[in-house]
Amino acid sequence: MAETIRGVVLRIERSSIYDGDGLRTVLFLKGCPLRCLWCSTPESQRGEPERGISREKCAACGKCVGICPGGALSLSGGRISFDRSRCTGCFECARICPAGAVEVYGREMSAEEVVREISKDELFFFHSGGGITISGGEPFAQPRFVRAVLEGCSRRGIDCAVESSFLAGWEDIEMILPFVSLVHTDIKHPNPAKHKALTGVENGIILENILRADRSPHKFGFVIRTPLIPDVNDSDGDIAALAEFVRKLKKLRFMEFLAYHRLGTETYKRLDMSYALREIETPKSEYMERKARLFKELTGLPVKVNGRDIL
Amino acid sequence: MENQPKYLERVERLKSKLFETYPEIDLEDAKLLTQSFLETQGEALVTRKAKAFLKQCREKSVKIWDDELIVGNSGSKIRGGILSADVCWSVLDRELDTINTREYDKFRLLPEDKKDFEEMIRPYWKGRSNYEEWLARIPADVAALRDNGALYIDKKAVRGWGEVTAGYEWFINNGVEGLRKRILERKAKLDATVPGDYEKEVYLDALLTVCEGLETLAERYAIEAERLAAKEQEPRRKAELLEIAQVCRRVPAYPARSFREAMQSFYFYQISIFMEQNAAAYNPGRMDQYLYPYYKADLEAGRITPEEAQELFDCLWVKFSEQCLFQDAKSAEYASGYPMFQNLCAGGVDKMGRDAVNDLSYMIIQATMDTQLYQPSLSVRYNMAKNPNSFLRKIVELMVMGTGFPAFHNDEVGIRMLMNKGIPLREALDWNPGGCVETNLAGKLRAYSALADINLGSVMEFVLLNGKCRKTGALAGAQTGDPASFATFGDFLNAVKAQLRYVIKVVVKASHIIDEICMGRPVPALSVSFEECIENAKDYAWGGAKYNTGNGIICIGVSDLINSVAAVKHLVYDTKSVSMKQLLAALASDFEDAPEILKACKEAPKYGNDDQYADSLAAELFAYIADEIESYRSKFGVMTPGILPVSGNTPFGVEVGALPSGRRAGKPLADGVSPNGGTDVNGPTAVLKSVANIPHDRFVQGTLLNMKLDPQMANSENGIRQIMAMLRTLCSLGVYHVQFNVVDQKKLLEAQAHPEEYRNLLVRVAGYTAFFVELGKEVQDDIIARTVQREGSCASCG
Repeated sequence: MAETIRGVVLRIERSSIYDGDGLRTVLFLKGCPLRCLWCSTPESQRGEPERGISREKCAACGKCVGICPGGALSLSGGRISFDRSRCTGCFECARICPAGAVEVYGREMSAEEVVREISKDELFFFHSGGGITISGGEPFAQPRFVRAVLEGCSRRGIDCAVESSFLAGWEDIEMILPFVSLVHTDIKHPNPAKHKALTGVENGIILENILRADRSPHKFGFVIRTPLIPDVNDSDGDIAALAEFVRKLKKLRFMEFLAYHRLGTETYKRLDMSYALREIETPKSEYMERKARLFKELTGLPVKVNGRDIL
Repeated sequence: MENQPKYLERVERLKSKLFETYPEIDLEDAKLLTQSFLETQGEALVTRKAKAFLKQCREKSVKIWDDELIVGNSGSKIRGGILSADVCWSVLDRELDTINTREYDKFRLLPEDKKDFEEMIRPYWKGRSNYEEWLARIPADVAALRDNGALYIDKKAVRGWGEVTAGYEWFINNGVEGLRKRILERKAKLDATVPGDYEKEVYLDALLTVCEGLETLAERYAIEAERLAAKEQEPRRKAELLEIAQVCRRVPAYPARSFREAMQSFYFYQISIFMEQNAAAYNPGRMDQYLYPYYKADLEAGRITPEEAQELFDCLWVKFSEQCLFQDAKSAEYASGYPMFQNLCAGGVDKMGRDAVNDLSYMIIQATMDTQLYQPSLSVRYNMAKNPNSFLRKIVELMVMGTGFPAFHNDEVGIRMLMNKGIPLREALDWNPGGCVETNLAGKLRAYSALADINLGSVMEFVLLNGKCRKTGALAGAQTGDPASFATFGDFLNAVKAQLRYVIKVVVKASHIIDEICMGRPVPALSVSFEECIENAKDYAWGGAKYNTGNGIICIGVSDLINSVAAVKHLVYDTKSVSMKQLLAALASDFEDAPEILKACKEAPKYGNDDQYADSLAAELFAYIADEIESYRSKFGVMTPGILPVSGNTPFGVEVGALPSGRRAGKPLADGVSPNGGTDVNGPTAVLKSVANIPHDRFVQGTLLNMKLDPQMANSENGIRQIMAMLRTLCSLGVYHVQFNVVDQKKLLEAQAHPEEYRNLLVRVAGYTAFFVELGKEVQDDIIARTVQREGSCASCG
């Protein structure tokens, strides 16, 4: 890492057991080209650092209004309003808020700083077979930064994995693949039109990139994940189409179905964003298992539900 | 539970009987002791103690409950709080009318017992107990610390010795017959014309009296079993009772010949030392080691099946839960839940340093899984290099049940702690955890492992208030100057160290006084299983054991001290964002008028996040505390530091005002070496990395770490394997101990219903960690839904 490469990091989460082998430190990056309706980390969507506000904590004291250099904040009717277009990203509002109601999502970090943070758990990686998993946002949206982090980790003997939507240029993807042992990717819907309706983009490039990565000489394993959302992407036909695609993959380690959840709804409120799927409930585990079994019958491939093997 | 083994039916019946029984004050032993003392006036104190023990063995109630296989009870009631009248009769005197209404550890006191107490026990013991001696002799500076909540030091004067691991192995293998032989051999070497030999003769005679008592007690149980057998209609129970009689005729009088006899011999001795003095932490120690030869022989000879051995363990576990520690209301606050701390251990290495895990190590863990009781206090010594993964896996399977057991100990650090107490490696390999997380050596080591608790929150307060206590305004600490006059952080840190130095010095002085008082507190029944007590003809209390160390000085409020020093360094000296004057004013008002300073204090670097800013202060402060404590000696050996709160962090917190860490007045302090609740936001690996900055192996009386386990971690196969990896990493990091509390569905539902009591409960949400009570209802519901309901009702220490 001769030159300093900087990236925008959402957060670094340690001791995760769901994002690859062993105990892992997950590096969440900012910026994603997709807008999935069920997205549980809406604070990762925009590329730049941003602020959120907890209305329950805000006492509407107005201190932030006074300090904001861009005049992005105003107080009216006992409520703080925020004009994103005027925010300069100084986040003085978060520093001054006595109630701790303002939260900052994302900060710039150098690849060296990130690697230093990741290395803090190397003893845990050693004992558990864990390592780093870079997630998003979309890691391939910051390819040079991601590559620098992965290079730094690899030199320290830390195992590397990524989680990506695979909506990226092939060159950017190819830059990363030599460093990773595991790649997680989602197939949100097999049908291009429905995929566009659910995520804002078609799935053509995504599926093509997945197949191309699968044919590449790099020695990583694929984990394909699908978040199952009742009545959105879970029909037996959807599962069959998914099965047909996944069957083609030579590098597949396993298929995993994740239960839709609403754990991100709180963050939507803080970002003043609306959440489209409010009425859908988290599916029961029997339902998840039934869908996973269907997939298994069709393909004979190893399947998990929320990390648990389906036998 | 449809596939549960047959033996569990008996265990369930034994357990229900226990649960149906409300603890009662049990004065039978105290009355017999008093009668005996009236009969033996003029004789040597140790002789009188031994004769009182013999009288108890001859005359106490002998009862065998239905379904029991292992028998014996130190008093007359299933769940009795036994009063050690010679130590602390006056505790009950002060609480005669409140003992059943006090907040912690209530006992019913029957009117006839109250009458006996007033007419017999009180008149005899008034002015004669160890507790009264202590109250009369406590120096003014010690009392000032105690009375201003900076020190808790009365506990040793309000109950018996405890905090010891008797020589069970030696006792079981040799039987009373073997002990008596040794005593007589030693006696034969005495010459009454040599000065000192007369005292030795008196002492050895007292031990012989104890031997007679032990035999008598077992014989009476044999007779009782036969009496019950004679009238028993049910043939199976009749046979069981006859077998009990047979076992009691054999042990402890003679060396045990079978697993069953060895276990019964153990338990007779266990109740005997309770009878002598009710106290916490008579630690059974390495039971998987000393019972194994008997089990192996029985198994090979076809005399026992693994199921039968498991049943006996489970029955013994129920017996362990009968004892109820009797202590004063204040002490009960500091260690609540009738905590007997009978610390029993599995795993580790043998005396040659090889893997010591055997079939019994697994059965011992299984017994706690089967019974789910709060006793024994189950510990494991896990030796990463030598113990198999299957053992670690069994440990984790118990951990995820959410009972708080077992207390996980890093074996290599335990061994080093013993060596740092001055015990050679050869014997240190055989160490065992004692009490809460202290270290011990069976039949060889004497000390109070947790004599006094120092309130580190008060120490910080003394720094800020020039030696005064905020709550009372009284001067109790050293006068280290007005903190506003400290020009540099170095000046401030020096004041912190000066306060620590002062408090430690006062405590050491107090410890010496207690040692002196304890010379008049011989315990011949305990001493008889210490080989060197016989060899030296010298009681345990007098330093007769092979090894003797200075008493344990315990620190409480570790994280509060570190975070307060870190906050002052960060705010006042490094960023200069808050002046010392502003900080002092904010603390004086408990931050009422200074929300922005409270916020700054809370946002200052915190211990528990793998942040060198706070963690390097942890290392410096605790190396300093260890240096200071180790620099003193008692007449027995080097003074010993430890960090274990039991439940003292809560009452200590009540005494301390607002702290620079952002902790508000009266709130509990942090427990053990754990971070303050809710201030560790980087997950468990960061907690362990921070905690590793404390020099664990130098805190030779143990360091206690409590960690909350995310429910998702506890209920998946992958999670179990990752907990195993985490524990191995803990060992690599040189951390000594951990116990896990599982945040289960029940706890989350409670938190939803009573958010004010669960403000610090952190949970993992979607890729991030948040305070549970601050999440919206629907998010809370989703988190609750992803946890699996588990049963579990017991608690360990901490």
